[in-house]
Amino acid sequence: MKTPDEIKEIESELEQILYGVMDPEIELNIVDLGLIYSLSYDGQSQVEVKMTFSTPACPLGDAILMNIRQSIANVYPEFEVDIEVVFEPIWNSEMISEKGRLLLGM
Amino acid sequence: MNNLQTGNAPSLSVVVPHFIFSALSFLCLTVFIILAGTDVLGPYFSGKLVAITHLAVLGWASMLAFGALYQLIPVVFETALYSELLAKITFWIFAVAILLLVYSFWTSSYGTTLIYASSLMFIAVSGFIGNVLFSKRMGKQNIQSRYVVTAILWLLLAALLGLLIAINFKYPFLSQIHLHYLKIHAHLGLVGWFVTLIVGVSSSLIPMFLISHNLKEDKLNYAYYLINGGLLLLSLDWLVLQGTVLVPVYWMSISLGIILYLVFVWEVYQKRLRKELDVGMKHTLISVLSMLLPILLSLTVMLKLDFQNSFHLRATTLYGFSIIFGLITPIILGQTYKTLPFIIWLHKYKQLVGKYKTPLPKELYSEQLANLQFYSYNLAIIVLVTAIISDSIWMIRIGSYTLLVTAILYNLNVFKIIFHKVKTESNST
Repeated sequence: MKTPDEIKEIESELEQILYGVMDPEIELNIVDLGLIYSLSYDGQSQVEVKMTFSTPACPLGDAILMNIRQSIANVYPEFEVDIEVVFEPIWNSEMISEKGRLLLGM
Repeated sequence: MNNLQTGNAPSLSVVVPHFIFSALSFLCLTVFIILAGTDVLGPYFSGKLVAITHLAVLGWASMLAFGALYQLIPVVFETALYSELLAKITFWIFAVAILLLVYSFWTSSYGTTLIYASSLMFIAVSGFIGNVLFSKRMGKQNIQSRYVVTAILWLLLAALLGLLIAINFKYPFLSQIHLHYLKIHAHLGLVGWFVTLIVGVSSSLIPMFLISHNLKEDKLNYAYYLINGGLLLLSLDWLVLQGTVLVPVYWMSISLGIILYLVFVWEVYQKRLRKELDVGMKHTLISVLSMLLPILLSLTVMLKLDFQNSFHLRATTLYGFSIIFGLITPIILGQTYKTLPFIIWLHKYKQLVGKYKTPLPKELYSEQLANLQFYSYNLAIIVLVTAIISDSIWMIRIGSYTLLVTAILYNLNVFKIIFHKVKTESNST
């Protein structure tokens, strides 16, 4: 079992990994896009991600989920990643970060 | 994972043949326009012009619409396609029907072959409609799905009337001349099927691609009733009463509906987060804006504002041309780049993302070719419209060859996407 500081550090690393996962249509990473609602690590091997898509029937949703799992597995192969996709609150453009807005040319 | 519908996309073997047939039809269509020569400036009901029209609206536009709708059903209805097998059977029947139909018109053979072709067409359309309706039964009800379902019902009526006209050529039983029914058939197809479908699907896709939110759908609701109510009354008036003084009222209803839709798109455009438009969206927005052209031309034709008789005939040709090449073709040219690369990318890279550095969907086609296609198409349309207005055969030739260039560029990109070979960090260099 990791200490609270170690857990925080790993969560921060996991977030950095998610910065590398792109929405292939919008061409922006899913963190700056505001698709990640929460991310937690239990200190052992369980990672929980609560996220959304820009539209409930996002045709690229499967690819994004696959990318998240694989990107985390590349760094932490022993981790189990549980992703919960929710549509409450529904995603809107206000959720895009400042950096994301700049990258999108908004 | 409540309400997650991402795994509902149909197989590649369902969708891709539609894109291939459609792209090749577009290429053949441009060759047919060159071969038709002076016939393009002749009466709109001549065999060659009717063959070109059917190749355009069925082989090029409807074939792609069928394929794209199979792909879009998970997006619009939020459910999977009812039957992939039915979709594959429908494709082959539809393809044979189109080839037979175009052959019959091009060779002016209005006999048994035309009846067979129209019957197969009706069967194919019924198969497609059954598949969409069964999918919808399982899916979400929203304004977009209402548009799609209404559009396909118009298509069924257009196909049915087409079949009756074909039978009437060999075994006359209809009370009026063919041109009377042809007018209704054309409007059921062009306005009922295409305009309703484009309004419904684009009102879902344009906000998605431009990233626009907080949109009010009340205009789309009003537009739905105005367009479809107007068309229903117009068709019944023409069919039963042979055209009364109320026809301009129905025209106003349809036109107002289209204008409300244009206002909706304008709001989407204003609220868009993605400021830069790619080639797909440029084509799409030109198509949407072009909806104004048939409204103005139909007014000219309806009020017979003909300063000379030949102008009236040309206005009628231009009216049909503006719907097929102003509205339908550019939206297909544009939306191909917003759908096909993603379909192929998902198939090729879904299992590889995260493991390797993969290309983006837009990197599956040549942007340079797509841009050239965009400019050549707009040039071709400006030249062809000028040619029809000025009755100039040499301009028709220039416009036709420019359109052929567009079709070649489009086909190059479509086949580049379809035959894309997987590139990952490890084997791309």
